Amino acid sequence: MLVLKDVHARYGAITALRGISIEVQEGELVALLGVNGAGKSTTLATIAGVLRPWQGEIQFQGKSILGKTPEQIARLGIALVPEGREIFPSLTVEENLRLGAFIRKDRTEYRRNLDEVFGLFPVLKERLQQPGGTLSGGEQQQLAIARALMSTPRLLMLDEPSLGLAPALVDQIFDLIVRLHQRGVTILLVEQNADRSLEIVDRAYVLNTGLIESQGTPDQLRTHTDIEGIYMGDKHRANT
Amino acid sequence: MINLEFIINTLSLGSLYAMLALGLVIVYGILRLVNFAYGELIMIGGYTLYLLTGFTPLPWLFVAFLAVIVSMLTSLATELVAFRPVREKSLTAMLITSFAVSTLLQNAALLIISPRARAVTLPQIFQKSVLIAGTDVPWRNILTILTSIFMLALLTLLLKRTVLGIALRAAADNFRMTRMLGVPANTVISSAFAISGIMAGIVSIFWIGRSASVTPTLGAPPLLVAFVATVIGGMRSLTGAVVGGFVYAIIISLLGIFLPPDLLEFREAFMFVFVIIILLFRPEGLIRSKTSVERVG
Amino acid sequence: MNLADRLKSFSTPLTLATGVLLVAVLTELLGISLLVRIVTVMFVSMILVLGLQLFMGNSGILSFAHIGFMGIGAYTSVLFSMTPTAKELSNANLYPFLIPIHLPFLPSVLMGALLATFVAAVISYPLMRLSDAAAVITTFALLVIIHVVLVHWDRVTNGPRTLFGVDYYTTLWTSVVFCVITIFAVYLFKESRVGLRLRATRDDAYAAASIGINMVMMRWIAFIASAFIAGVGGALWAHFITSFSPYSFYLTETFVVLAMLVIGGPYSVSGAVVGALIVTAAREILRAIENYVNILQVFPQGFFGFTEVILAIVLILILVFRPSGILGSREISWPRFVRKQKATGDLDQPSAGVQGGSHV
Repeated sequence: MLVLKDVHARYGAITALRGISIEVQEGELVALLGVNGAGKSTTLATIAGVLRPWQGEIQFQGKSILGKTPEQIARLGIALVPEGREIFPSLTVEENLRLGAFIRKDRTEYRRNLDEVFGLFPVLKERLQQPGGTLSGGEQQQLAIARALMSTPRLLMLDEPSLGLAPALVDQIFDLIVRLHQRGVTILLVEQNADRSLEIVDRAYVLNTGLIESQGTPDQLRTHTDIEGIYMGDKHRANT
Repeated sequence: MINLEFIINTLSLGSLYAMLALGLVIVYGILRLVNFAYGELIMIGGYTLYLLTGFTPLPWLFVAFLAVIVSMLTSLATELVAFRPVREKSLTAMLITSFAVSTLLQNAALLIISPRARAVTLPQIFQKSVLIAGTDVPWRNILTILTSIFMLALLTLLLKRTVLGIALRAAADNFRMTRMLGVPANTVISSAFAISGIMAGIVSIFWIGRSASVTPTLGAPPLLVAFVATVIGGMRSLTGAVVGGFVYAIIISLLGIFLPPDLLEFREAFMFVFVIIILLFRPEGLIRSKTSVERVG
Repeated sequence: MNLADRLKSFSTPLTLATGVLLVAVLTELLGISLLVRIVTVMFVSMILVLGLQLFMGNSGILSFAHIGFMGIGAYTSVLFSMTPTAKELSNANLYPFLIPIHLPFLPSVLMGALLATFVAAVISYPLMRLSDAAAVITTFALLVIIHVVLVHWDRVTNGPRTLFGVDYYTTLWTSVVFCVITIFAVYLFKESRVGLRLRATRDDAYAAASIGINMVMMRWIAFIASAFIAGVGGALWAHFITSFSPYSFYLTETFVVLAMLVIGGPYSVSGAVVGALIVTAAREILRAIENYVNILQVFPQGFFGFTEVILAIVLILILVFRPSGILGSREISWPRFVRKQKATGDLDQPSAGVQGGSHV
């Protein structure tokens, strides 16, 4: 469904991605792992159209999406829940969700998605008319994901959904991701929490300074890659 | 003397300034652009009034309507031709562009019409007043207040009940995220400029209504008022703009009464000193908004 | 460093100064008085643009207050340089204590620059914290305040009326010498520690702060240095034109100086010089056309504003197609004619108007 071939991307003068190639099949739950600065968020930003790669190719459902604007990419069915959630603080929960459904004009679909979202996140129904800025961190995270779901995305990209959340909430979030996966939503997950991620994903890629260092199923990665070492730095890995 | 006349005058002035500030903030909220060319939209509204009342037999109400349309179209044109190409560059580039557009429009008016002031025929009702509680209240003031109430209600309706309005508010919160939900950036920005133009057009009607003449530099004083009102009220919030407009009107009217005669001409300077002071202590303005302006250093 | 190396590091200002001097010599030789006038004004404009470049180019902040300081410099210097009799004749309302003050030309210029600097120093320190829109509005507010004060404080400035009777001191060579000095001064600032640090804050405020650069202080120093130069420029201009009013120091002047800077290239000293040159030339040509059309009476109401319209269009085109100006942040130097400068500036970085910058 989603294919990245040899993608290079830059932030100003800093080269963030130095040749990333990944694949996500329909219905899969794939993770991008790696430390801060490895290029995980940059990869998502590039797919979402926020950054334009200067080399490489990105294809979604067989067609190239390279150089498309974020609006166009959203309309193709790719939804990004960014790091830091980025819900609209001065809009109510309902308005946030309404905007999430912007690209879907069908009222029935809208109601259906809304009910589904209320089912997954009952707290949002409670706080429906409250401004997004008054919600707690965990609730905002739920709102951000719910907002993305309102567009019935073909590909859902989650950037560090568990960041800054209390452990109980982290569990909830991972449960949620599993549930969505079971419903057939294709998910690309960026996470620093490698262990938890490997418990739930189909496959994962490990990024390091803009390159893919290793990839495979969770079992493959656990046996052949020093996950810990990636987070501790090269020195540690040299010792094992 | 603070009597009924003073109160109604100040209310009327405040209503005018509130609409003025709204037109500026609606663009600023989304693009962070302080549109120097905003004053010129008012000037163009004024010249439309002049040309249509002076050279056509059209009824005044219709002329006023057309003036608003022309201001709106001019605003859209400036966005399309000047601001859109520079948008991807940087904020500073946009600011300089807006200053250039302002100079362009001013001098275009100079070139095409005349550097001299032109008299505008005002409708009869602007000359009349009505007796309320023993005071002569000019109809013009009442109309200003009523119009602003109407426009504010209309704008609130737009922003709260339509998808476009929600998108505009979202864009003011977080423009990039709005795009990532599929909302077209150009539509949002053009809508903001259109609203800005409409506000400018309406303000021009009542601004001309007080002076009955138009010059190429007509745009400068209202621009300054809009700046100050916006800063007072908080640059990001529409409510703030309205509050700022009223606060400005109140302060300047009070200054008019209480300043000694020889300092009276420095009123504007005082207002601007006030602006600077506010910005120093509260860069985000008097009204707390959900997100604050960045301060470095 | 031996002499050759020394010269090389100064190759930009030397080249620019040589170019400027050549223009002056040529003008003198040609002996056309109109050309002498145009070129003299050009050099004074160049000084103003250089002053603006010092602040804007290095700090990345758009300042509208510059011409306000020009006005302060003009009026102050004139109050010192005019003879008591001339002062009494030109302003009936003048404060009595201002009448007997009389200084020669150069000290008067200095006084003008100093007062401009003083005002800038006092008002601006707290402003240097602000960013983007707040800074722009505040400097614009400053311009307006200065303008209002100049227009209404008629006991000092003769109010909105023209102030007559200033002695003519700014000859072609006076303006050239000042211009050359300014070129070196601005270049030295750029390459000084303050300049370097300031540019670091321009490119990345947080990174600069993290290595201990006091951004507020650096900006402040640049601002007052720029105000000093504006004051000098104002004083020179006042003693060239010999009669002026507060309206000479407002929006049109601000626009012209800004246009010169942006068209030439705001990130380099050479840009300021080239911009002043090109825009002066363009303006003269356009004004000639304007006058010609007026003489022919093609339009009954007069043909005014044409110059500014064209200039504004050119400025917008430059911002759209070449935001770093004609020189594109490069400095002119000799022997290799154009030497590439490293960092591009704020004008063509990805927009902060697209919210959130480039961080995802």
